[in-house]
Amino acid sequence: MIVHARQVPVDDNSSGPLWAKIIDQSRCIGCHACTTACKSENEVPLSVTRTYVKSVDVGTFPNVRRAFGVTRCNQCEAAPCVTACPTSAMYRRPDGIVDFDKSICIGCKACMAACPYDAIFINPQDHSAEKCNFCAHRLDVGLEPACVVVCPVEALLVGDMRDPASKVAQMVGREPLQVRRPEKGTRPKVFYKGAHQATLDPLAARRPEGGLYAWSEQPTGPREIGSGTAGRWNSSAAALLSYDVSHTAPWDWRVSAYTWTKGIASGVYLVALLLVAFGGASASGPLWRWAAPLCAIAFLALTGGLLVWDLEHPARFYLIFTRPQWRSWLVRGAFIIAAYSAVLALDLLVTLTGSGPVSLWLAIAGTPLAVMTAVYTGYLFAQSKARDLWQNPLLPPHLLVQSLMAGAAVLAPFAAWFEPAAFAAALIVLGTSAAVHVLFVTGELTLVHVTAHAQAATRVMTRGAYARTFWTGAALVVAGGLCCACPERAIELAATPLVLAGLLLHEHAYVQSAQAVPLA
Amino acid sequence: MYPGASSCGLAAFPPKDRWDDWTELDSRAWPRREERRYALVPTTCFNCESACGLLAYVDKATGTIRKFEGNPEHPASRGRNCAKGPATLNQITDPERILFPLKRSGVRGSGTWERTTWDVALDDIAARIRAAIVEKRENEVMYHVGRPGEDGYTERVLAAWGVDGHNSHTNICSSSARCGYAFWMGLDRPSADHANADVIFLISAHLESGHYFNPHAQRIVEGKHAGAKVIVLDVRLSNTATHADHWLAPQPGSEAAILLAIANDLIQRGAYDRDFVRRWWNWDEYLLAKDPGAEPVFETFERELHALYEEYTFEYAARESGVGVDALREVARVVASAGTRLSSHTWRSATAGNLGGWQVARCLFLLNALLGAVATEGGVYPNAWNKFVPKPIYSPPHPKTWNELTWPDEYPLAMHEMSFLLPHLLTQGRGKIDVYFTRVYNPVWTNPNGFGWIDAFLDPAKIGLHVALTPTWSETAFFADYILPMGMGAERHDLHSYETHDSQWLGFRQAVLRAARERNGETIRDSRDANPGEVWEENEFWIELSWRIDPDGALGIRPYFESQAQPGTRLTIDEYYGHIFEHSVPGLVERARAEGMTPLAYMRRNGAFEVQRKIGALHEQEVAPGELVDESIDRLGRVYTRAEKPPSPNVVPIPTPAPDAQGRRPVGVRIDGRIVRGFPTPSGKLEFYSRTLVQWGWPEYALPTYIKSHVHPEHLQPGQMTLIPTFRLPTQIHTRGGNAKWLDELANTNPLWIHTSDAGRLGDLRTGDLVRVTTEIGHFVVKAWVTEGIRPGSVACSHHMGRWRLHEHGQRQIMATVGIEQTGDRWAMTRTSGVRPFASSDPDTQRIWWTDAGVHQNLAFGVHPDPVSGMHCWHQAVRVARAQTGDAYGDVVVDRAAARLVFEKWLALARPASRNSPDGTRRPHWMLRPLKPAMDAYRLPERNA
Repeated sequence: MIVHARQVPVDDNSSGPLWAKIIDQSRCIGCHACTTACKSENEVPLSVTRTYVKSVDVGTFPNVRRAFGVTRCNQCEAAPCVTACPTSAMYRRPDGIVDFDKSICIGCKACMAACPYDAIFINPQDHSAEKCNFCAHRLDVGLEPACVVVCPVEALLVGDMRDPASKVAQMVGREPLQVRRPEKGTRPKVFYKGAHQATLDPLAARRPEGGLYAWSEQPTGPREIGSGTAGRWNSSAAALLSYDVSHTAPWDWRVSAYTWTKGIASGVYLVALLLVAFGGASASGPLWRWAAPLCAIAFLALTGGLLVWDLEHPARFYLIFTRPQWRSWLVRGAFIIAAYSAVLALDLLVTLTGSGPVSLWLAIAGTPLAVMTAVYTGYLFAQSKARDLWQNPLLPPHLLVQSLMAGAAVLAPFAAWFEPAAFAAALIVLGTSAAVHVLFVTGELTLVHVTAHAQAATRVMTRGAYARTFWTGAALVVAGGLCCACPERAIELAATPLVLAGLLLHEHAYVQSAQAVPLA
Repeated sequence: MYPGASSCGLAAFPPKDRWDDWTELDSRAWPRREERRYALVPTTCFNCESACGLLAYVDKATGTIRKFEGNPEHPASRGRNCAKGPATLNQITDPERILFPLKRSGVRGSGTWERTTWDVALDDIAARIRAAIVEKRENEVMYHVGRPGEDGYTERVLAAWGVDGHNSHTNICSSSARCGYAFWMGLDRPSADHANADVIFLISAHLESGHYFNPHAQRIVEGKHAGAKVIVLDVRLSNTATHADHWLAPQPGSEAAILLAIANDLIQRGAYDRDFVRRWWNWDEYLLAKDPGAEPVFETFERELHALYEEYTFEYAARESGVGVDALREVARVVASAGTRLSSHTWRSATAGNLGGWQVARCLFLLNALLGAVATEGGVYPNAWNKFVPKPIYSPPHPKTWNELTWPDEYPLAMHEMSFLLPHLLTQGRGKIDVYFTRVYNPVWTNPNGFGWIDAFLDPAKIGLHVALTPTWSETAFFADYILPMGMGAERHDLHSYETHDSQWLGFRQAVLRAARERNGETIRDSRDANPGEVWEENEFWIELSWRIDPDGALGIRPYFESQAQPGTRLTIDEYYGHIFEHSVPGLVERARAEGMTPLAYMRRNGAFEVQRKIGALHEQEVAPGELVDESIDRLGRVYTRAEKPPSPNVVPIPTPAPDAQGRRPVGVRIDGRIVRGFPTPSGKLEFYSRTLVQWGWPEYALPTYIKSHVHPEHLQPGQMTLIPTFRLPTQIHTRGGNAKWLDELANTNPLWIHTSDAGRLGDLRTGDLVRVTTEIGHFVVKAWVTEGIRPGSVACSHHMGRWRLHEHGQRQIMATVGIEQTGDRWAMTRTSGVRPFASSDPDTQRIWWTDAGVHQNLAFGVHPDPVSGMHCWHQAVRVARAQTGDAYGDVVVDRAAARLVFEKWLALARPASRNSPDGTRRPHWMLRPLKPAMDAYRLPERNA
């Protein structure tokens, strides 16, 4: 089990109940009563579910059975959604229930990106994140959750893990139970009895072709993620997904684009400073004085715009600053970007008031902030515990390289026009960073990923839905890099659009592929 | 406190003493603790026949129903439900439901409607019915019902009108299963005690469907987890098969061969309950018939028995079924281990699929009869012993007419009306219908030969007035003259009792908002005051209609619908049910008094009442000496008496074996010197040998035997496969669940299940590929679902899907839009669009993400009446091939000339009463029949005699 060093200590107030559930698949008859009872109790709209019953047909005739898997929030002791939530809209109650407060949800979807079980969704009616909360509103008045009450075969049990008389406590202690994806270190409090591996592992089964399940259509859409895999499945036994619901990938093109704009915003500053430091550009030249801060501010503004636009509740974005949950990298990132923006604003002010050298002193603060702006996304993505592709220790340095590449690409034409002496140096940075970027990507592709999920994501990126985006992006960056080595000015200038376009495509492929792997 | 399943101090339901005013926290406002106050009103689910208890939460602030949970007071469902229970809320709030009486404004079927009033509709319909009755055209009034969801109310109405107008769906559903049981024990349903069984033997899918899905699933899983072994026979991998310890997927139609091989094994090894067989089988009658000279002792019979089934070896069964000998032997060993704790059950499934399917039920019960697992703990009871139908306020006499459209001469032994032949019989000119009610029934869609039904509806000479009593749009309602909106489950009153386990209970469905408002002291005139729009309910509708048929009582009808308390006024719902609860339910008055309530108030509060638990072996009960007056005992031990039948508050239909030659009524049977109740069969015993079948022209079926199905491999042409078109999903119920969005979201298509090897054989078919399925009368085009979950050589298609509409109106969330074209006998349906999101009062209809609605396969089926049971034999011999150029998804093409030939071919198998009746009657009078006419009506008319 991977346990992160910085894991949150579990709230272990040992008085009061600690709620857990058991899903007994050896009793479950796949009737979907829990699904509709939950929809009724919690008024869950069509197209989303707090709980559902997937089924996998395992084996070959006549040795074949339909294995059911009731799927829902695992009420993790170490809940990644709680850690990732910027406003504490997702929070853990002392009784172990991971609950949520819709009134302070900004709709950033970080919880969805973090949940290894894909148990959270945005409610299309109120645009806030939602999931199973064990019917906390019922537990608090002494009633069992709706699904437990309705289940015809008593396959769903709720109980207090601290109460030795509770059936759940007895079964947790005495019976061979399973949990979903223990390797995520989340310590789930939803236990399974008699579940088939092919239902617990979202990659175990083959996803049927033809847009069909055995009695339902497969929901379609570019970002609808169903369970199972179309090609190789993760089970040596025959296993065919016969019913499932789909999940929407949390972050769309706006997040892909944000990594790009933000890379440019930090890169232009860092590259300009680098050129000044190594004599490639003048500290009093237009590159450092004007191009860097203006471009950085412009792209930070774009970055902020994209981020707010991506929120389901854009008007609530200020809650990040008024009720920050400091473990969230979304919060940390917002403060980093804010601080970086402040430095840039000062820098511009300094330039406007003509007090030249002060801007270099400002770089003492500006440099680490720009670097942090470039790399924090690596931590933000890593906090999305569900997405194995992003659990990559090389992601921060790679993001820094991407940022330098983007910054150099933006600055190069400025240099060509306004500070020709700096042009060659800018091209060197551009060419070198492009080469290093390609090296990182090559490593990503050629090294076997540790987990099946990361491998699946890589497959989606290089051979699946995002292959064209990915390979075009890679080719454009390579072409841009090669342009840097060409003596012809016009070709050298072409490096900028090639690299920038290539990087944008790469970001999109990388961000979306990681989210295209089924988790539930 | 209702402790929950979790045993952790939490309750499953609010305590009953707070059902008047219960406070819960609003789940949407959470974690803000916003309180909502509810009145909790029990009622009954109106989806499948299980009739599980529901508890409606009526919001005190808004006066609307917020949700449905289970009713913990319900003895069968015990507070639990399937997916359809909570989804009842969708049905109540469905934005597409019909809220006002409608009258067609164009020609029938044109899809144009205008709002009308109840008064206009009632007067029009009443006048026509009155004319039919006055002019002695009683048989032109017909009421055609889907699953009734009630016991006896409407039959009583028809009896009061004196018409033989009851028509049911049973012959497309359960007739063959009933038939197999009825020839054994007189009663036509099993009541299996799954929870206490050692072996549970299912030729059914009771963990997902069937009578009675949720109550039985609870008890099957309970039994299994207490150690019972589960055996399931099913051609396809059902959810039930998934839970089987032994799943056998036999060649469709070979089930009886397997059962007889098991029986033979029990017999040959002497592993049967000798004493039970000796005491309770009518072996003596069999010996007497077979060889009157043989010594009539049990040992003679045993020798016979050993020879009777010896050809049914495991090897033979393996050849017929394709199941391995070892698997069969193992299953036989498990069955033998059950002793008297064998709970077996078949309903629909193989019985409904195959010619001779009724023998599957008969052969299955043979195992119980061999093991003595009849009316034992963990065994199988006759249904009527676990059912309580309280005597109502009035009991009109049996109708004096016989309706040959529903009970034609050809099918004297049919368990129920030959409903699905109606269009053919009308076309043959056997009669006409002047007023035809369809009541929550959708023959156009559900029955085979759907185009034939449409054709009949389009001809006013065949059906004069079609009144659809339905809460929602249906393919049949599209062809109505009036659509009269009747209440959903929570908007109506009904009483029912079903054999879910060894108990007798009574369930009360009530109009929830009406009950809630009456609890608050409001006076409700009738259910329309509380239901949405002008939605009514049938109870009150029938009373009102009957008054208008006979306003002055001159026809003798009105008195049956008149108040006893206030003569001259209409009987009310409260008086009708109040009378029953006060007079006809043992123990209810006392229980209600103990809680300080009237019996009616008690039932309105609790929704259900358990009359008696653990009924036990009634057949072993000694006949009280007082009931034996001038008794006679025939040579086979049947005991007759001159004593009047003691009155019973339980009027559950029981077969009526014939009196003896002197008119004494059968009262019991003498066994080992004791006179005991026995079974309601002619012999009073379990009938291994059926005198009735012999006398009515079927001597070859006198004993439980194996009939080779119409889809037996010997009857298939090269390249033909067997289509299993009957399988059900746990989330849908025919067309009744279609107006529940949560259910439609869960299941919205019906691809053709085909085994991987067959898909390969047909040219590497992949899931989603279009295939053309060709039946004997046409074809349909559907998508393939390539699976390991079906026996190779068979294909299966769930029958819930394939809903359609021709015009604007309809259930848009689950109906595709189609066109129908007719050229001569060729009828073709093509799909113009699938399901799409739409704007309505419910924002969810904009979130409909599914586009499919499945394919309507039943249109392409000809009628297959079993010559004995009358059951439509659903399985189809089909050819499956890749779709051809020009084929489109959802196409259905039918040649109605071919359909007529199929009808004639099957009709020719029948053995009519006019040629075979042993006593000049149309049908054995002793057998059950809905709305049984008076004895005189049983006489065959002169022309046939």
